[in-house]
Amino acid sequence: MVLLTNPIYSALSLGLVLVCISLFYILSNSHFVAAAQLFIYVGAINVLILFAVMFMNGSEYYKDFNLWTIGNGLTSLVCTSILVSLITTILDTSWYRIIWTTRSNQIIEQDLLSNSQQIGIHLAIDFFLPFEFISIILLVALIGAIVVDRQ
Amino acid sequence: MNSRSKRLIRSIFHIHRSSSMFLLYEYDIFWAFLIISNAIPILAFLISGVLAPIRKGPEKLSSYESGIEPMGDAWLQFRIRYYMFALVFVVFDVETVFLYPWAMSFDVLGVPVFIEAFIFVLILIVGSVYAWRKGALEWF
Repeated sequence: MVLLTNPIYSALSLGLVLVCISLFYILSNSHFVAAAQLFIYVGAINVLILFAVMFMNGSEYYKDFNLWTIGNGLTSLVCTSILVSLITTILDTSWYRIIWTTRSNQIIEQDLLSNSQQIGIHLAIDFFLPFEFISIILLVALIGAIVVDRQ
Repeated sequence: MNSRSKRLIRSIFHIHRSSSMFLLYEYDIFWAFLIISNAIPILAFLISGVLAPIRKGPEKLSSYESGIEPMGDAWLQFRIRYYMFALVFVVFDVETVFLYPWAMSFDVLGVPVFIEAFIFVLILIVGSVYAWRKGALEWF
């Protein structure tokens, strides 16, 4: 939906695409990732993109809307090549082998726990150190963004 | 007698064993809620669009500003403060998403995990105090 004239409409259609991706996550029986996708991508990142789009002056974009500029052609070529390479890679990977080698039943009472509870247990026990590093990364991102803004 | 009448009712109304309405059956209530909550405003607008009388006038076409005369332009300059708020919100939203699975598995894990999550939140409180003192949370 990048062919829309108003860039705000394009940013909102990006939000729609991210909602549809979260529906795909629901189909794959990973409900926590779907909810996290809705929270973070649509709720936070899409709003950020929307605000970044609003910085540009919208009135200059309605006139002389040329669809086939050189930059547009190059970008569409790159995107199509990425799409084709992704499709061939996904079709060539044997997903069953990867799933069976990483399946581990070390969690207590695995069938009684829901999805997000399992994620919580894994996060707190197996990946405890990355969990703390995540907080430090978030802190660094916050401080960096504020320092950049102060100037 | 009861089972025979039940079988009769089933054959008449074609009720199957799994009576789910939509595709993802655990989300039945969710889809029903979504459809109803989308249908009610559409219905409200349709009914008022049909029943309300339409009389155009110069006063009706001007913009609404709480009863006074509208002053100034409708398009405001986008200030950087809005972007700062969205940025701070992104960071704390990611933190909240990480707190959800910890909260779901809180009763299975023990006290050490509680202390680890406390350290997590503490580091981010330090960040929020920094943002507060640097004036990133000012609205005016």
